Amino acid sequence: MTSPFPSSSSAPGEGRLIVRLLPHSVSALSTITFQYPLKLISPSPSAHQKSVLVFLLTYGGGLVGGDRVHLTIDVRPNAKLSIVTQGHTKIFKSPSRDVVTRQQLRVNVEAGAGVCLLPDPVQPFGGSVYEQSQIFTLQDGASLCLLDWVSAGRTARGENWDFRAWSGRNEVWAAPKADAKARLLLRDNVLLEGDEAGSEGKLLKNNMHGLGLFGTLILKGPLLESLAAFFMAEFSVLPRIGARDFRSQEKVDKDSGIVLSKQELWRRNRLKQEQDDGLLWSAAKVRGCIVVKFGARTVEGGRTWVGSILKEEGSVETHFGEDSLMCVR
Amino acid sequence: MNHKVDSSESQILEDEIVELERKLQDAKSRLKARSNGTAISAPPAKVLQSNGPLAPSSHHFLLLLADSALPLGSFAFSSGLESYLAHTRPASSFPAFMKLSLSSIASTTLPFVLAAHRNPAYLIELDDTLDAAMMCTVGRRASVAQGRALLSIWDRSLSSASPPGVSLADIQVLKEFTILLRSASPTVSSDLPTASAHLGPLFGAIAHILDMSLGQTAYVFMLSHVKALLSAAVRASIFGPYHAQKVLASVEVQEGIQEVIKREWDTKIDDAGQSVPVMDLWVGRHEMLYSRIFNS
Repeated sequence: MTSPFPSSSSAPGEGRLIVRLLPHSVSALSTITFQYPLKLISPSPSAHQKSVLVFLLTYGGGLVGGDRVHLTIDVRPNAKLSIVTQGHTKIFKSPSRDVVTRQQLRVNVEAGAGVCLLPDPVQPFGGSVYEQSQIFTLQDGASLCLLDWVSAGRTARGENWDFRAWSGRNEVWAAPKADAKARLLLRDNVLLEGDEAGSEGKLLKNNMHGLGLFGTLILKGPLLESLAAFFMAEFSVLPRIGARDFRSQEKVDKDSGIVLSKQELWRRNRLKQEQDDGLLWSAAKVRGCIVVKFGARTVEGGRTWVGSILKEEGSVETHFGEDSLMCVR
Repeated sequence: MNHKVDSSESQILEDEIVELERKLQDAKSRLKARSNGTAISAPPAKVLQSNGPLAPSSHHFLLLLADSALPLGSFAFSSGLESYLAHTRPASSFPAFMKLSLSSIASTTLPFVLAAHRNPAYLIELDDTLDAAMMCTVGRRASVAQGRALLSIWDRSLSSASPPGVSLADIQVLKEFTILLRSASPTVSSDLPTASAHLGPLFGAIAHILDMSLGQTAYVFMLSHVKALLSAAVRASIFGPYHAQKVLASVEVQEGIQEVIKREWDTKIDDAGQSVPVMDLWVGRHEMLYSRIFNS
């Protein structure tokens, strides 16, 4: 019997978002569609919002083995979009290595527009197989702030990088121009292959070297310029590894009497936190993008660190609104 | 991709045929020598001779590219070893680091070496894609410094001695690449370089022109990396030269190289990526060391 309902145009897990700028410089959604298991929620807009906030959710709070999510987003000129999640994106166990759970995101950002993607970390459970691909095409003057992070799994249950496979791809492309085709600016691809069943050594765990969280932050475009400069500046003033304090005790006492500026005080606290949480990070300029890589012993350590820097610098809040930071505080 | 797999498989078969023909020739000449009652051993000057097309010079160039005296400046780079030692002291272990480093170099760079050997015509594109995939300043600097050195070696030393029968189109690709690299003025700090000269793709392309097989190229590339790590370890006083030679000769190194080559043999360049994320942190944080003896 044929179905009396019109056939659905979208496949399972497909989603579509279009954000455009309304008069009075308010960004608003003009299209929002999604199919199970993907779910998108956007709070009702207010006249003062700095960007459209969208929650990227899944039914049941996670992706079951073999689920596919494919979200396509267009951000029209000068509009701004923030994407957050509610809690970790859980990736459940797959029955075998061939059953791959996939999440794909394709985002086109037009001139003067901005996208801020600061979700919670992905939490791959033991035995899961996950592939994530996030591809951004930016026109001239478009801005992107992208955080992609993954945790060691359910550490409270003793999981420690026990998934079968995890791969995360982030690509930034310069949109094609009249005389040239699209050009790849940056490809950040992390491939983690779990241990084969029956192998005695914990190879992947050793590869991760005691980290419980690994993350990548990618910044590009005019809206994120000051944050990018802030990261580079903070990286360059990190204390040197293996440096010794050659000052005399007298000088140390004298220096400790100096009143630190607010920023120096903040930096000192942050460095202490980096030390306590075993946080390692590095920042690099790659073809016009800033890439920050960081690893921490615990998820909360990483979250506190990245949240503290974004808050201290302040430009994400200025351009995208306070809510865009809800997953990193 | 299928086409590429086919060509690499037929390459392997061709290599095997050349090898078998050489053995046959060798056995025949020994038999002949025996019946003539002359000396059995081959004349010393012909040690590297064989009857495959272009084979004598390919052996010659294989030895040149595998030589630690090849002036690439590899001794100036530790590929993160120095930073690793500083971050993990006193629990650092060279064998553990070497394993991670092999896996990381193979997953990030080896697909580009293989792709450039399979088709040198794509050199400019491969170089640009690899440039987009290198996520840390220190690693980029090391790769570009050695790549530029290799290009100079080709330009000034090897190109005049390239084997007969070499494809002119492939040589033209290198010429164009050099021109492109020079035209991009290094003083103007452009965000998007037209050409960077990373080591991996250039090594693959030059090895192809010098008629080395795909398998040889991959092995020499990985072995050179191990040699650079060991040379750095000796100079960082982890162990002495005898122990370094022992590690280099070990079955673990041989098997480790074979294993990663097998793993990456069919990896497309678009799927190349970092298999040891913490390596990016160590290499990237090399600049944070208080004292350094290496450039990476």
